[in-house]
Amino acid sequence: MIPPAIVDLLHTGVSVNVGTRDADLMPECTRGWGIWVEPDGKAVTLLLTESASAHTLLNLRDNGLIAITCSRPTDHVTCQLKGTVSRVRPATPQDYERQRQWRRAFLGELMAVGVPAEQVEAIIMQPAVAVEIQVTGVFAQTPGPGAGEQV
Amino acid sequence: MDQAALTLKDLWPCFEGIIPATIATCAKDGTPNISYVSQVHYVDPDHVAISFQFFNKTRKNIAEHPFACVMVLDPRAMQAYRLSLRYERSESSGPLFQAMSLQLQAIASHAGMSDVFRLRAADIYAVQRIERVEGITSLPTPAQDERPPSLFIEPNLHALRVIGERLNRAECLGELLETALHCLDEFFGLHQTMLLLADEKRGKLQTIASRGYPENGVGSEVGFGEGLIGTVATAKLPLRLSGLDHTLRYARAVRDRAEAVSGPDAVCREIPLPGLSNASTQIAVPLMLRGRCLGVLVAETLEPLTLLIREEALMAIVAGHLAAGIEQSAHETDDPIAVDTPVAAPSSIRSALSPRSFCFYHADDCIFVDGEYLIKNVPGRILWRILKQHQDEQRVEFTNRELRMDSWLGLPEWKDNFETRLILLRKRLEQKCPDVRLVPRGRGRFALETSVNIILSEKPA
Repeated sequence: MIPPAIVDLLHTGVSVNVGTRDADLMPECTRGWGIWVEPDGKAVTLLLTESASAHTLLNLRDNGLIAITCSRPTDHVTCQLKGTVSRVRPATPQDYERQRQWRRAFLGELMAVGVPAEQVEAIIMQPAVAVEIQVTGVFAQTPGPGAGEQV
Repeated sequence: MDQAALTLKDLWPCFEGIIPATIATCAKDGTPNISYVSQVHYVDPDHVAISFQFFNKTRKNIAEHPFACVMVLDPRAMQAYRLSLRYERSESSGPLFQAMSLQLQAIASHAGMSDVFRLRAADIYAVQRIERVEGITSLPTPAQDERPPSLFIEPNLHALRVIGERLNRAECLGELLETALHCLDEFFGLHQTMLLLADEKRGKLQTIASRGYPENGVGSEVGFGEGLIGTVATAKLPLRLSGLDHTLRYARAVRDRAEAVSGPDAVCREIPLPGLSNASTQIAVPLMLRGRCLGVLVAETLEPLTLLIREEALMAIVAGHLAAGIEQSAHETDDPIAVDTPVAAPSSIRSALSPRSFCFYHADDCIFVDGEYLIKNVPGRILWRILKQHQDEQRVEFTNRELRMDSWLGLPEWKDNFETRLILLRKRLEQKCPDVRLVPRGRGRFALETSVNIILSEKPA
């Protein structure tokens, strides 16, 4: 189960950073545009765009291993989720509705730390691919001592 | 932007730390990891440095599998770039480490976390690939011409900065002069250089330091207006001569003259100017300060087309620093500041040591050692005074002040740079009689160290 504090964090407009690797263990990173915890408290769904994350999606289809670091821009509270991808599929209207909720909070966070509105508005988040993930580990990642400890 | 042509320099706004970067790594067991990075630092066109503050998963993974993928963002348009990196090494000292550490400390002290946020190392990574991430933003990337060209420092400018800092750190005149020539060699490839100081009263320039020659030539002289060096001192302007003709090679001319006067019966009292007899290019720049020429800095080379306008400009800047440093040293107090180093006691088994005979010629204040010319004029008298006191009173330690006040030495009362005379003396001894040394013991104080039996004689005028 994902601890409640982490569930709350993930629903506050966090920035989403995704790490994967290929068959040769070469790492790849990308940005995610939306994340939420599924009702069972064990799975999360992440949205990626095909254009910005092509290599990441190849890696996920190849081995399914994923790391996601989520950080709230205004206070740097950060966590990392590790997991295995159970499904990669095109985003649905329901996914886009969840993305809109996340986006509103995320844009608010970015503007609060001084990112100009026109830059925030210009981020391309659609069309998206939905990635369903079974979470296998949750780690505290807020900068400082204690970062990296399992929650 | 043409992706094939992307270089690290094109990504300059990404290295300002405005939007945090992320780093993905992979453990040996295949588990990926992603975390934020405090600083991605531009090192050179092929390398970046990443700050290492905590022993974390990223560090562990890199130790197992030295590859990383870093995403950086241009804050002007939220344009992202991926860097494929391979770990090379960690630096925990040196200029890069210091710069990154200071930046981190400043941030940490703001947050009251100085003890927590401490840079352990600057991890250097080779950049194997740069990829512009498409489809991140609908904003256009600002055109190249909007970038300030001053962000990446030109290597010569950086070198001049380092040289300026090193020269300002020099504790004494000798160190200042050595540092200058060393730096010209290290940073600009000027392997053969010499520095002459002006003796305005005698209308001469005297070599005080040199680098890259078999003989250091310290003490050799050139008249104002003579040859390239003398001309520069008179004109107070830099001069660069390429494709040198024999007749223009002043070094050679002086050497020939020195050789001409040293027949089997004649005794040579000229020190040859150091110099490449077949130099293709020479540059001489004056050491100017408030309209006065304090000396001349010279570089020369055998290689054609290597000493050009660039080298002349760089030397002129270094010469300006030298002029200020030399002037400063002339005003420094002679108050001795002792250091805690033991002074070598005079040997009690003097008779067992090999002898070196010093002879002082009163006619021209000249000293010969074992029949070979050593030094003359004021430095000659200084050495004689020291050797006599060593013999008569077993003294080993001396101060600049006592010598400066010694009327027999005939030092000018005002503005005499006593230290330059000691440097000259010290270097002549190094070259001609290394068993007798004048060793600095802190500012304004030095000791006579010797591993030979010194025998003194005098020839009256």
